[in-house]
Amino acid sequence: MTMMSDRQQLSYIAGQAADARLNVELETEGMTLNIGPQHPATHGTLRIICRLDGEQVVWAEPGCGYMHRGYEKLTEVRTFPQVTTLVNRIDWLGSFANEVPFILAAEKLMDIEAPPRAQMIRTILFELSRIANVSLFLGDLGVQMGAITPVFLAFRDREYVLNLIEGATGGRFHPNFDRIGGLKDDLPKGWIDETRQVMVKLREFCDIIEDLLFGNEIFQSRMRGIGIIPADIAKDYGLSGANLRASGVDYDLRRDQDLPMAWDKADFKVWTHPDGDSFARCWVRLQETRESCRIVEQLLDQIPAGPIMTKVPRIIKVPEGEAWVSTENPLGEMGYYVVSKGDLGPFRVKIRSASFNNISIVPWVLKGVYVPDVITILASLYFILGDIDR
Amino acid sequence: MAPLSDSDTTQEEPAALPGDGLREGIVDDLRRRIGDAVIDTHIAPNDDLWVRVSTDAWRQTAEALKAAGFTFFSFLSGLDWLPSPYGKGEEDPTAEPEEPDTEIRPGVTGGDTRFQVFARLVDIDRHVGITVKADVPDDAPAVDSWTTVFAGANWHERECHEMFGIGFNGHPDLRNMYLPGDFEGFPLRKDFPLLSRMIKPWPGIVDVEPMPAQDEPEEDASS
Amino acid sequence: MGLVDKGRMPSPLTKLFNMSRSYSLWVYQWGLACCAIEMGAAFGSPRYDVMRLGVIPLPASPRQADFVCISGTVTDKMAPAVKRLWEQMPEPKYAISMGSCANCGGPYWDSYSVTKGVDQIIPIDVYVPGCPPRPEALLEGVVLLQQRIKNEDMAAKWRGIEATATEQARLDREAGRSAATAPPEPEREPIVVGGGPIE
Repeated sequence: MTMMSDRQQLSYIAGQAADARLNVELETEGMTLNIGPQHPATHGTLRIICRLDGEQVVWAEPGCGYMHRGYEKLTEVRTFPQVTTLVNRIDWLGSFANEVPFILAAEKLMDIEAPPRAQMIRTILFELSRIANVSLFLGDLGVQMGAITPVFLAFRDREYVLNLIEGATGGRFHPNFDRIGGLKDDLPKGWIDETRQVMVKLREFCDIIEDLLFGNEIFQSRMRGIGIIPADIAKDYGLSGANLRASGVDYDLRRDQDLPMAWDKADFKVWTHPDGDSFARCWVRLQETRESCRIVEQLLDQIPAGPIMTKVPRIIKVPEGEAWVSTENPLGEMGYYVVSKGDLGPFRVKIRSASFNNISIVPWVLKGVYVPDVITILASLYFILGDIDR
Repeated sequence: MAPLSDSDTTQEEPAALPGDGLREGIVDDLRRRIGDAVIDTHIAPNDDLWVRVSTDAWRQTAEALKAAGFTFFSFLSGLDWLPSPYGKGEEDPTAEPEEPDTEIRPGVTGGDTRFQVFARLVDIDRHVGITVKADVPDDAPAVDSWTTVFAGANWHERECHEMFGIGFNGHPDLRNMYLPGDFEGFPLRKDFPLLSRMIKPWPGIVDVEPMPAQDEPEEDASS
Repeated sequence: MGLVDKGRMPSPLTKLFNMSRSYSLWVYQWGLACCAIEMGAAFGSPRYDVMRLGVIPLPASPRQADFVCISGTVTDKMAPAVKRLWEQMPEPKYAISMGSCANCGGPYWDSYSVTKGVDQIIPIDVYVPGCPPRPEALLEGVVLLQQRIKNEDMAAKWRGIEATATEQARLDREAGRSAATAPPEPEREPIVVGGGPIE
């Protein structure tokens, strides 16, 4: 009995102390929370080490490298077509988009351009990869917060897009379809009509997701005002893509550069948002998906007839030089700095991947944030591990 | 709902794509700011701009360019100009091994050392980018860190240090980014061998041969 | 389960247990890279539904899982985590290696940071080749695993004998046991989807 009353007294005091933390020194500081590398909420093998003070994050650090495969070293021992195969797997959700800047850089060094039909089809497949990539992001948003239905919808509707990509290129995921000078094959018969129907379905998917998620009160309260990144910090860290546009910076590499692709033949809007919080980033991506559907529909009407590949030698040796090409990939700005010495393969390839810069801001943005918001901020920044770790 | 951006945020007239005149203007502006630290420049017509600066002025270049409007930090990395002593692993293993090429031949805008650091900055308002290079001295490979100018350079410099062994003076925390703690060596240096390739010859050697009976003649081997 | 330990389980009961075990599997998805998305499509999407095979995809923890599907590249930095995961799973446990990166290193066979095949760390039952394998290929791998479980010797499994046939024979020789009284060895010969021996 005495022991119990002592224990009761102790628990009472502890309760009082928990309320009046300033009066009693409680050890709430310095707890280290380790999220990952295997965790359902991180998009892959990312490890976040947080130092907590109660429920607030004092210091956070992502630990990368669990998917580091050594791309830049591997490209030095492969030929250009082999590098194309390898490079598909960096951003593995929208894979065609990874090949394009590399092929464009090689074509820049060779001083050739793909024929107009190939440029148009490249752009269409690029936008389809963007839709495939971002639709999974929209589905995953729900899972980060505990809502599981959107991810099933996302997988179902992504299957339509993957079927299209498979019909044109032969691979659902890693198409390996781009070649220096054009594309590997022409489009199959009936592909254009099928794509039109799929774009209608994808727009319905965007509407459903907006209904389910974006209007939801829980989503709004967990995303609004969380993880605000001002525009100058975003530019300092090199954030790109929807992350940059959600902080109010009007910069889109499809419109702001002159590449031999067909984006100038479509009329599209670049979406920005002034807030810079998690909601803004998700919202901008939703609008961009709809915009991509519009771009694809416009371009489908304009595919010119003609060859699919320019005349290039069988064994391609790219002349000596250095070239940089970057495009507006689904994750952000992805670019390749290709150094060639006139061999069959590149001398050095520097891969500028969007998620590396997007995640480098995590130590800055997670200061002072509550633990549940850590997950939602990471979800809104949207990264793919292969892109961070290359 | 908080105020969303209004209906039309695309610029009415997107800024004109930069021409070579703009690039030359940028080079002149840079020369005015940092004087003779600009060693060499190269403008690819209608395309891109490269500038090589002296090693001591590496951080000063960043500050000057940021003040000139290049506020978007794209990336920072290193270059190793030594030709790989291991070849590509695609040579015929039954043939005589060739003499490895050891001459260091740097690329655009030249260079005097084996290692170089290079970075890319973008001016978002004028839609123009610039690639800046600097030599890294061979005896003590280190340059100044850019973290005081661009906070995003933190991770890039860590990766560059881990891959090439180039030091960055003034970097707050230069530890490994990708590799496990006990990894030895600097992988992206050309003299770091890929052990699997040493042990196993590349199985696709025969595929490098030209196919018989093709339409266009194969490019001359001396090119 | 004294009958099981002594190896005197009547065979209809063994068949019944094996069948129920093979149709009530809980799979832990260790999705690392691109194959994880195809695994998600196979296990989570309505089109290539895996639940119709009797396999449920999302366990709460590895301690509740029956088998693990390792999909994607295993790097040297990640390898200790994979090992620790495998050790956390309770017996009887199986492993499917999905994709060429997990099988043998795949397109990164010459990289300095990739483990050339997850079978260097844990024993694998089924290899599913592909880059990435189609969801149907993964489902075939699951079906092959179920067939193996149905033909399994439960007694040996409960006694936790993990050795392969040759290893067990060597142990028996060293222990001086004759082949007649030695317990039957469990099969650990791996299966490859698309070819290879099936029991």
